[in-house]
Amino acid sequence: MTKLISQRAIASLLSLLGLLVLVFFLSRLTGDPAALFLPIDASEEMKAQFRALNGLDLPLLEQFGRYVWDFLHLDFGQSLRKARPAIEVVLEAYAWTLPLALITMTLVVIASIVLGALAAFNVGGFFDRLVSIVSLVAASAPDFWIAIVAIVIFAINLSWLPTSGVGTPWHWILPIAVLFIRPFGLIVQVVRGSMLGALSAPYVKTARAKGVRNLPIIFVHTLRNAMLPVITVIGDQAAAMLNGAVIVETIFGFPGIGKLMIDSILQRDFNVVLAAIMVTAIAIFLMNILIDIAYGLLDPRIRH
Amino acid sequence: MIFKQILVAGLLASGAIAPAMAQSNTDITVVLSEELDLVDPCMATRSNIGRVILQNISETLTELDVRGDKGLMPRLAESWEDKGDGTWQFKLRPGVTFSDGTTFDANDVKHSFDRVFSDQMTCESARYFADTELSFTVVDDTTLDVKAEPAQPILPLLMSLVTIVPSETPMEFVRDPIGTGPYAMSEWTAGQQIVLDRRDDYWGDAPAVTKATYLFRSEPAVRAGMVAAGEADIAPQITAEVADNKATDFSYLNSETVYLRIDGQDAPTSDLRVRQALNAAIEREAFIGTVLPEGTELAVAMVPPTTLGWNPDLSPPAFDPELAKTLLAEAQADGIDTSLPIEIVARTENFPNVTEVAEALVQMLNEVGFNATLRMVEVAEHEQYYSKPYPESEGTRLVLAQHDNSRGDPAFSMFFKYNSEGTQSGVNDPKVDDLIARASAATGDERAALWSELFAYVHDEIVADVLLFHMVGLSRVSERLDFTPTIATNQQLQLSEIGFK
Repeated sequence: MTKLISQRAIASLLSLLGLLVLVFFLSRLTGDPAALFLPIDASEEMKAQFRALNGLDLPLLEQFGRYVWDFLHLDFGQSLRKARPAIEVVLEAYAWTLPLALITMTLVVIASIVLGALAAFNVGGFFDRLVSIVSLVAASAPDFWIAIVAIVIFAINLSWLPTSGVGTPWHWILPIAVLFIRPFGLIVQVVRGSMLGALSAPYVKTARAKGVRNLPIIFVHTLRNAMLPVITVIGDQAAAMLNGAVIVETIFGFPGIGKLMIDSILQRDFNVVLAAIMVTAIAIFLMNILIDIAYGLLDPRIRH
Repeated sequence: MIFKQILVAGLLASGAIAPAMAQSNTDITVVLSEELDLVDPCMATRSNIGRVILQNISETLTELDVRGDKGLMPRLAESWEDKGDGTWQFKLRPGVTFSDGTTFDANDVKHSFDRVFSDQMTCESARYFADTELSFTVVDDTTLDVKAEPAQPILPLLMSLVTIVPSETPMEFVRDPIGTGPYAMSEWTAGQQIVLDRRDDYWGDAPAVTKATYLFRSEPAVRAGMVAAGEADIAPQITAEVADNKATDFSYLNSETVYLRIDGQDAPTSDLRVRQALNAAIEREAFIGTVLPEGTELAVAMVPPTTLGWNPDLSPPAFDPELAKTLLAEAQADGIDTSLPIEIVARTENFPNVTEVAEALVQMLNEVGFNATLRMVEVAEHEQYYSKPYPESEGTRLVLAQHDNSRGDPAFSMFFKYNSEGTQSGVNDPKVDDLIARASAATGDERAALWSELFAYVHDEIVADVLLFHMVGLSRVSERLDFTPTIATNQQLQLSEIGFK
């Protein structure tokens, strides 16, 4: 297991370096940040001054060399737009994204596993059909529309919750609820499908023959065997969430990493883009290790 | 039973939230579309920064009256006088203090300009002085001579664009702006909110608003909803689709002018008849009340009607597809290849429904025989087509753009858009260059007359572009406030202009 994780770590480190090179040069291809930082009628002198102040007038390879040198010293440079350290801006945003992703994914995992497993156990029954319809609708729900409708209903008409923002725990309910819907719909279907296969295995018949009750059969015997594909999808969905939830962040004014990244790309704030991608990549790399560990715990064949 | 308990808990919770949202009845919340990257006063001409800082935290020497017809008004300068030879003398207001307690004097003004022109930072307001050298002589604490080379007849107006900071302010962007304005920044939580508190030691009349909290939401429906839900009091820049409440939603000319920039050097638009045909092919009225909000006005100049020298005798080109076809046929007969491709380049999210507007324009041009196509691009790519040097193309490109001038004088527009050396100009005409030079150097009635002549020449004689619309802005204002947005609301939102009913 340790060997597996260290192999993964080395591979991830190499990907990280590849990403650094790729993002550095690709972002530079998008054009000149001076044209966006300064107003359209700014003089050439002002633009030249902005480039010089931010080292954008140097040859590209020299810029890259300096960036790598600073990066090795954990210095991600200054945000061109915000005139403060890029990593500070990114970590500030990540401090919002991480709890949002963690809380949402925890709720998604619990709800989808329980409901998916129960639906599979009652296959063809009313509960199964209900879960199937709900999950299908949820998996294909447009979150932009749901977010706006949720605001209109719960914040404006009913006045139960605030429309947007992050001031109190109440502010988190709508973003989490909207963010919950799609991964829930998807994972519940995978759990159901995977459980259907597991429940038809001979050991389930044996357990039933021995008089084991339904709930232990589902949650003790079968679930563990059905979890491998589920964990893969959970990992995929969690990675998407760690990248930020742009639409939810934009609508609810949630100051997370997704909106920051999009804004920084559009405004050519190179250092913030790079810092955000690096931090996100590290988070996803750590999550992948957790998933590998989970695989190992669930399936001894992987562990050995 | 459990459901009932949850419902009860929900209802109790909704009651619990209400006190948290409540605020003193003279505190207000403003919800803006864009977060502020910087809060440095020298960046206050950038609209999202200006709405928070300009004349609230930081003040300028002069101020343009956008509500009445007082023209240029005193602010930190009590009076100014043209001493000749390019020198203006400003008499500063005595007894003014900054929010850090230091006293305002002429050295602060000099330092504020030193920052604007510093090579250690890039301040936006420097662009207004691109070809002007300013030198400052501090006569005494309240008297300052400013010499401009070449002479700058609108120097007092330009003073309305530079905010004054204390002379101790470092030559780098600050995060705790200090100003002489009626408010001081008490909190800035990046990504979340900015809070301004009213100062007790402000030199002028105390405004009614005691505290202003600025929030940032990019979705117009959410901004409008926040005012409806009582979470905010002012939501600028909402869209026509969500502005459905006559009691709270205001529409006003927002100083933006939408036009198609023509490159007069390219074929086929180098021919006057082709440019006239472009103008005659467009049914401007059809856009208003459909894809553009009611109240949008047809443009006859690059600047809104409130600008000096605006020419009331000009009228928008009539929609006349037959005339357009005839003009094109005449040009074709004279050897102009009118079948060359014309690409309209428009920017996504430039203004609400920009895509629909651009698609309709392409359709209208093609109906009279142009070979037009549309390319929608992001802001960065748009800038490459909009500003010189223009990329090569087979045929030509028409850039759909929006220009903002709420500064009161055409000088802020005409050089850039029409001079042969203007960054976004498609014109190369000695008479235009001469009129711009003379109008920029003139004062008073002569200045107004020259600008007026230039507007007519550009619009009727050389048909330099396809002027389309003076746009309207829509803002939602809580019914508890006594406040009407103006043409300046795009650039600034003076809290001292807000009252309570």
